[in-house]
Amino acid sequence: MKVASVALAICLMAGLTNVANSGPMGYKGSTMAMGDFSPNWKEAWVNQAVTPRDAFGAGGVAMQSDDKKLTRKFSELTYTRLLSRINAEHSQANLWLLAGMGSVTGNNFADGKTMLAPGVAADYETTRFYISASARLYRAQGINHDFLSARTGLSFYEVDYDETQPWLIVEARRMRGLSEKIEITPMLRLIHNRYFVEFGVNNMQQGRFNFMYIF
Amino acid sequence: MKTFNQFHTIKLVAACAAIVWATGTFSPALAAESIKATVNGMVCAFCAQGIEKTLMKMPQTKAVFVDLKKKIVAVEAKEGQSLDGKKISAEIKDAGYDVVKLETVALSVDDIKAATKTKK
Repeated sequence: MKVASVALAICLMAGLTNVANSGPMGYKGSTMAMGDFSPNWKEAWVNQAVTPRDAFGAGGVAMQSDDKKLTRKFSELTYTRLLSRINAEHSQANLWLLAGMGSVTGNNFADGKTMLAPGVAADYETTRFYISASARLYRAQGINHDFLSARTGLSFYEVDYDETQPWLIVEARRMRGLSEKIEITPMLRLIHNRYFVEFGVNNMQQGRFNFMYIF
Repeated sequence: MKTFNQFHTIKLVAACAAIVWATGTFSPALAAESIKATVNGMVCAFCAQGIEKTLMKMPQTKAVFVDLKKKIVAVEAKEGQSLDGKKISAEIKDAGYDVVKLETVALSVDDIKAATKTKK
């Protein structure tokens, strides 16, 4: 059971912290959609920024363990809050509160369970450099796990607003319970004014594709 | 003869009017006005998009230009309308960014964009 819980927390966390260079929500009134796809998990969610600092959303994830014997499906409602932002001439730093609540089902237990998943994320970025870290607690009946992830990246060059900017991103995340390895994934990101796509291969030779789009 | 002179007078006046119109000598309503803001914290395309969308919603806005490298946001007023610098500053602040300089310039957004491109 713990394996499943950790895995689900990781999936949830991955979805909420992947959004480098933008934060896990868009500007006021916008809708943000995001997907994160690899062999062991497939996730998608949307949120709506109701204020410049608050967004509500919903999402779902389907995942499996490394040996493919354990499968889970998780659906959740999310709340994202920009706790603090520091703007400088050439940089921006943010502190985020992330919260999710939903129901998980799995192939090794009968009924769905309620999950609560509070967490925080922080990032610092310039037009050429990005770094972020996130931590989240995952709590459910009989389950208590922590999750950590970190990302950093460099853009190849600066661009104008109407041009596509390529980035090299590296992410490390701990998947305790699901896999004892730290997953490290270098990815190429292409970011344009209202979307980005990322694709790469992790240290377990699994392909990964992410996207984000702001309506 | 009188009719002939009147005809030429009308032609002369029309020609002068056309020249004045073409040179813009007497067309104050056509003079573009923009507000140029220097913005801190604007580091990515998503930031720029948020600011652009927010400012385009203002009824007086004709066009918006964002220069990520120079951290400039330029807003052009619709013809015959004027922009409120305080309102623009507040909108940018509300979007999550800091305005450190605000100036009104007699240029269109296209002019500002062209000047920026030329400098690069």
